Amino acid sequence: MKTIRVLLADDHTLIRAGLRMVVDAEEDLTVVGEANDGREAVAMAEKLKPDVVVMDIGMPSLNGIEAARQIHAALPDTQIVMLSMHSDEGYVLRALKAGAKAYLLKDSAEADLARAIRAAAAGKSFFSPAVGQVLLQDYMRTLRRTGAEDSYELLSPREREILQLVAEGKSSKEVANLLSLSVYTVETHRARVMQKLNLRGIPELILYAVRKGIIS
Amino acid sequence: MTTLNQSADAGAWREPTPPSSKLRWLLLSVSALLLAILLLCGALAVRFLAQIHSQELAVTRALAERTHALSGLWLSIQSYNQAVQQFVAQTAADREAARRHLDQLTLEIDSDFDNYPTVRDSEEDALLAGMRRLFSQQRTLYITILESPQAERRREAETMLAQRLGPVQKQILDWSGKLQAWNGERVQQADHAMAADFTNLQGSLSRVLAIGFGSGLLLVVGSMAYIARLDRQTRARYVELARSQHALQQLSARLVDAQETERRAISRELHDEVGQALGALLVDIGRLSTVLSSDHPEVKAQLDNVKAVAERTFQSVRNMALLLRPSMLDDLGLAAALEWQGREVSRRSEIEVSVESEDVPEDLPDEYKICIYRLVQEALNNAVRHSGAANARVVVERPGKSIVVRVTDDGRGFDPARSRGMGILGMEERVKRLGGTLRVESQPGKGTTVTAELPYPPEGGTNA
Repeated sequence: MKTIRVLLADDHTLIRAGLRMVVDAEEDLTVVGEANDGREAVAMAEKLKPDVVVMDIGMPSLNGIEAARQIHAALPDTQIVMLSMHSDEGYVLRALKAGAKAYLLKDSAEADLARAIRAAAAGKSFFSPAVGQVLLQDYMRTLRRTGAEDSYELLSPREREILQLVAEGKSSKEVANLLSLSVYTVETHRARVMQKLNLRGIPELILYAVRKGIIS
Repeated sequence: MTTLNQSADAGAWREPTPPSSKLRWLLLSVSALLLAILLLCGALAVRFLAQIHSQELAVTRALAERTHALSGLWLSIQSYNQAVQQFVAQTAADREAARRHLDQLTLEIDSDFDNYPTVRDSEEDALLAGMRRLFSQQRTLYITILESPQAERRREAETMLAQRLGPVQKQILDWSGKLQAWNGERVQQADHAMAADFTNLQGSLSRVLAIGFGSGLLLVVGSMAYIARLDRQTRARYVELARSQHALQQLSARLVDAQETERRAISRELHDEVGQALGALLVDIGRLSTVLSSDHPEVKAQLDNVKAVAERTFQSVRNMALLLRPSMLDDLGLAAALEWQGREVSRRSEIEVSVESEDVPEDLPDEYKICIYRLVQEALNNAVRHSGAANARVVVERPGKSIVVRVTDDGRGFDPARSRGMGILGMEERVKRLGGTLRVESQPGKGTTVTAELPYPPEGGTNA
C-alpha cells in the first residue's frame, strides 16, 4: 500500500503535536513536514509536494483559505483538508472554492482526520458530520421561513445520482464510466442539476450535497 | 453594547447656573435713573410753560378789565359833569326831571366804582379811593350849587364852576391817569417776574440736563466696557468649547479604538491560548479514548464525560472570541463576515436576515471593515431586542465615491427623536470618525432603517 504523505499546517504547536500523533498512529499515513503559518505552508508544499495538506483556516501572515488557493493553483494533485473552528457555510463554501476537498471541525478532528486524509487523497470529498447538520438546519430554516419549495424534489432520480457522484469529487468521465453513459450526457445532466438548484459552480454543488446529507 | 435611555441615567446632565454680575445691576439702575431724570425734566418744563402761559393770560385779562372799567368810569363822570352844566343852565320847570337824571348818573358812577376789579393791592385801592373821594367832593360842590336859590345860583354858578369845579375835575382826570399808569407798571412788573422765572427754569433745566448727559455718558462707557468684557468672555469660551469638543471627539475616537484593540487582544488570547489548549486536549482525550476503549470500558466512560465538558468549554470560548472579534473578518473578508452575521442572527432569533453583499468592497482598510461590521451587528442586535421584526435586510452599496450600508427591519419601530440609545450613539461615533453620516429613520409601526454613508477611503490607505 502506498503511503500518503501529509504536510501539517497550524500555527499552534500543541495542535500540531496532537495532529501528528493521530497521523503517525496510522500505518498508511506519514507526516513529511510541519508549517507554522500560511506562507510557510505554501513554500513547504511547493518543495515537498505532499499528497495531502492538513491546514488550519485561521493562521497569521497568510490565512488558510488563501494558502489553500495558492497551493491548489501551484499543485493541482495535492489535496487539501481544511481544519476549522466554524461550521458556518461562509467558511465551508470559501474553503471549497479555494480548492479544499475535505472540511473538518477542530473539535472532532482526531476522530475523523485519518478518514478525511484518505478520502482527500483519493480525490473524494469529506465533511465532519456536524458541518452537514448545521448546514441542513440553516437550509431548512430558510425554507420554512421563506416558504420556498425544496428544490431537491425537482430532481429526477438520475439527476440525484449524478449530483451525489459529482459532489463526491468524481469527474464527468468517472461518472460516465460508473453509470455507463456518455460524458456528454453526464455534462448535460450536471448542467440541469445546477440550473434547477440555482447553483454556481462545483463548490456550491458540494455544499448543497453536504447540506442535504447526500455526502458527508 | 447595551441600549440605554440617556434620561434615566443617574449621572444626568444638569444645567449649571451662570454667575450673576453686579455690573449688570449697576448698568440697569443707572439706565433707570437716566430715564427718570429725562422724564422729570420734561414734566417740569411742560408744567412751568403752562404756568407761565396762564399767568400771562391773567395779567392781560386784568389789564383789559381795568382799562375797560376805568374808561367806563371816565365816561360816566364826563356825562355827569355835562348833566350838571346843563342843569345849571336850565329853567326851574325841568328841575325835578334833571335832578332825577343826576341822581341816576350818580348811581351809575357808584356802580362803576363798585364794578372795578375787586382783586387789587393797597396802592390801587388808595388810587381808587382817592378818585372816589374827589368825585364825592365834586358832588358835594354840585349839590351845594343845586341847593342854593336860583338867583344866587345863576350868579355864582359860573364862578363856582370855573373856580372850584375845574380843579377838582382836573384832579379826577389826573388820578385816573395815575391809575392807568399804575396798571401799565403792574403789567411790566409781571413781565419782569415771568422773565426771572423763565431764567430760573432755564437754569434748573440746564442743570438737570447736565446731570442727565453725565449719567448717560457714564452709562454708555459702562455698557461699552461691559459688552467688551462679555465679548472677551464669549470668545474665550467659544475657543474653549471648540477645544474641549475636539478633545472629546478624539477621546471617544480613542475609546472606540481602544475598545476594538482590547477586544481583538482578548479574542486573540481566548482563541490562541485557551481555545488551542482545549483543542489539543480534545485531540489527546480522543486518542486516549481510542487506545483505552477495548481494555478499560469504565475509564472510557469517564473520558467521554471529560471530553464532553471540554467540548462545551471549547464551544463557549469560541463563541466568546467570535463575539469580541469576528475572525471571519480576517479569514474571509467583510462580505462573508456580514453573511455569517446574518445567518447567526437568523439562527438564534426569530428574524430572518437577508444580506446583499455582492457590492461589498474587499480592499477596504481595517477600520472601515470593523466600522461596517459593528454597525450591522449593532443594528441587527437592536432589531432582535426591540423590534419584534420578522425580516431584516442588510444592503451594502457603492454609489459613486461612497459606501452606503443600510439595515432595514419590518418591526414595530420607534420614535428616533425621543429615544436614542447608547447603541445608536456608538454607531454614530464610529461612522463620524471615518467622516461619514448616520441616519436612523423610524416611526412607530413602520419599521426601522439605519443608514450609514461613508466616504470612500483615500487611495493607498488600504491594508486588506
